[in-house]
Amino acid sequence: MPSNPSMSAAIVAAAESDKIGYIEEGTTALNLHIEAIRNVCDAAGISPGQIEGIFATNHSNMLAEYLGIHPKYIDTTSVGGCSFQMHVHHAMAAINAGIIDIAVVSHGEAGYSSRKNQGNGTLRGGGGDAWLPSAQFGGGPYGAWGPPSYYAHALTRHMHQWGSTKEDFANIAVATREWAMLNPRAVMHSKETNPRGGPITVQDVLDSRMIVWPLNILDICLVTDHGGAVLVASAEKARSFKTPPVWIAGAGESQSHADMLEMDDFTATSAKASSEAAYRMAGMGPNDMEMAMIYDSFTVTAGITAEMLGLTARGEGPSLWANGNASPGGKFPVNTNGGGLSFSHSGMYGMMLLIEAYRQLSGTAEDGIHGLPGKQTSAQSAVVNGTGGLLSVTGTLVLTSDV
Amino acid sequence: MADYNKPIPSPDPYVTQPFWDGAKEGKLMLPRCTSCNRVHWYPRIMCPHCYSSSIEWFEASGEGYIHTYAVQNRAFGPWGEETPYATAYIDLKEGDRMFTALRGVDAEHPETIKIGAKVKIEFDQASDDVFVPYWRVVD
Amino acid sequence: MADYNKPIPSPDPYVTQPFWDGAKEGKLMLPRCTSCNRVHWYPRIMCPHCYSSSIEWFEASGEGFIHTYAVQNRAFGPWGEETPYATAYIDLKEGDRMFTALRGVDAEHPETIKIGAKVKIEFDQASDDVFVPYWRVVD
Repeated sequence: MPSNPSMSAAIVAAAESDKIGYIEEGTTALNLHIEAIRNVCDAAGISPGQIEGIFATNHSNMLAEYLGIHPKYIDTTSVGGCSFQMHVHHAMAAINAGIIDIAVVSHGEAGYSSRKNQGNGTLRGGGGDAWLPSAQFGGGPYGAWGPPSYYAHALTRHMHQWGSTKEDFANIAVATREWAMLNPRAVMHSKETNPRGGPITVQDVLDSRMIVWPLNILDICLVTDHGGAVLVASAEKARSFKTPPVWIAGAGESQSHADMLEMDDFTATSAKASSEAAYRMAGMGPNDMEMAMIYDSFTVTAGITAEMLGLTARGEGPSLWANGNASPGGKFPVNTNGGGLSFSHSGMYGMMLLIEAYRQLSGTAEDGIHGLPGKQTSAQSAVVNGTGGLLSVTGTLVLTSDV
Repeated sequence: MADYNKPIPSPDPYVTQPFWDGAKEGKLMLPRCTSCNRVHWYPRIMCPHCYSSSIEWFEASGEGYIHTYAVQNRAFGPWGEETPYATAYIDLKEGDRMFTALRGVDAEHPETIKIGAKVKIEFDQASDDVFVPYWRVVD
Repeated sequence: MADYNKPIPSPDPYVTQPFWDGAKEGKLMLPRCTSCNRVHWYPRIMCPHCYSSSIEWFEASGEGFIHTYAVQNRAFGPWGEETPYATAYIDLKEGDRMFTALRGVDAEHPETIKIGAKVKIEFDQASDDVFVPYWRVVD
């Protein structure tokens, strides 16, 4: 019988690229990857040459070559922003199987710079296929142009089906901004970091530019440059690095559809299945979680996901953020980095969730610097969920502190 | 037809041709599994409900209901000139769901559009061979 | 330049610019790690030998030797008009290896091309800013 892989591996270090956010002088996806890998190895006190497994959404082989390493395990799972949660899941499985001891999960994406440079934002492969069902019968012929134009349909349906309101979801953006104001690296930290930074109100969200009704621009994530990497190591090695371990207690992944045409219930995602798998592996449940990192490509993504993770009743996802519950000082911290909404979001946000969860649970949340109040919480357990595609694919991790 | 300036789908001759042939005649052709009797959309060579490969095409009513919708206030290319316009997922009377740019609604006032409203299909000639389906609110 | 009809590389302004700047002046610029002193090709922001980030650029000799080669008898686009032509990996005198379309050889008779033959670099102006390096056998 295969063994339960719970706690067989840990995230032992996390780091970002040298610069993140709106990098005005420009950068490339490859540089962001390499900077993050160098920084995470420096933090852990290892050489990139010690990496045995390489996990990235694209061109893992290219990264290995660039680093001059000859990996024993290569994974290029690329299903959107949740891919990084899955990479951690897969790395743990490879470690539990005895194939490798140390893996890197890496992300580099020049979402902002590529707009200026015309391409090379993500290291993407492949092109479209005119005969894919989604190309004939999906959004393209009818003027749907990107994730916002699809996701908006889910919010309309949620309001219809559950009686939720625009205000309920706008409050998610407000609470998330409060965390960004504690993170000096957040794009929307303050008026100094961005003219549109600093505090916002529900009314500000409702009054902000309408992009796709019912999504205003403040319901929608940023599009930045960002690189990040985490190291995953076996339980035997986990305490041998300069940085402390954060344990992978549970992991799960699932998919409900690819194109939104095949989404049965527009107010539910596979995060229910992926989180149930993660909780089961961990022997824990939503009530055991002390904080959450929830993919917030849009306020509606976060709201629905809160329900799927078992953190609220069905139809009441936004209530997780109500009355300051998920805000700084609240009972249940959520998206303590400021989220994809106000911290940084390069297109695939899952790596930022991992890095922040690692920092929170290892007690190394990086601020409190510059004399600012810190965003470090006392949480010892976290549920971390990534959502990819068009509310399509999800990966959920249950992480715990080293005690 | 000369006026049709939106992206034109590329019919797939191996699977979806009956749909596009029907569209030329103003008919909504749907695929139905002869094993489990259920309609599926988009067209497939294997039923997603029972995995049978026995699929037949039939002429559907061309009627449906709005499942959910959004209003695109920002868009690109030829669709950029049409903002704001509504897009919607349509529950087909015979089963499953299609996507469309919605007609017969006031996109300037999204809250006036009703989930559950009855819609009918119509086809725009986009090229010699391709007629693109659209749905119009008829309530 | 007007005659240059082959694919033109896109210089990367963040990492490889010194190479392309050198190429404009007919110089082969190479990256070298100041920590382990080894040359690497292609250019990187981190040394693949010792993982140092201290990289400097220097003007190299522009000399090398054929490491291995092949003759392309079938090709596409503008290169299709040049068949047969030889391609080769060049061992740089200063270390590491570059790829090239080889000049100064008789591609009709591949067996006459010698591994280890000495080659020198030359640059073709492909656009205002891009000079593409080629290697020519000078033995």
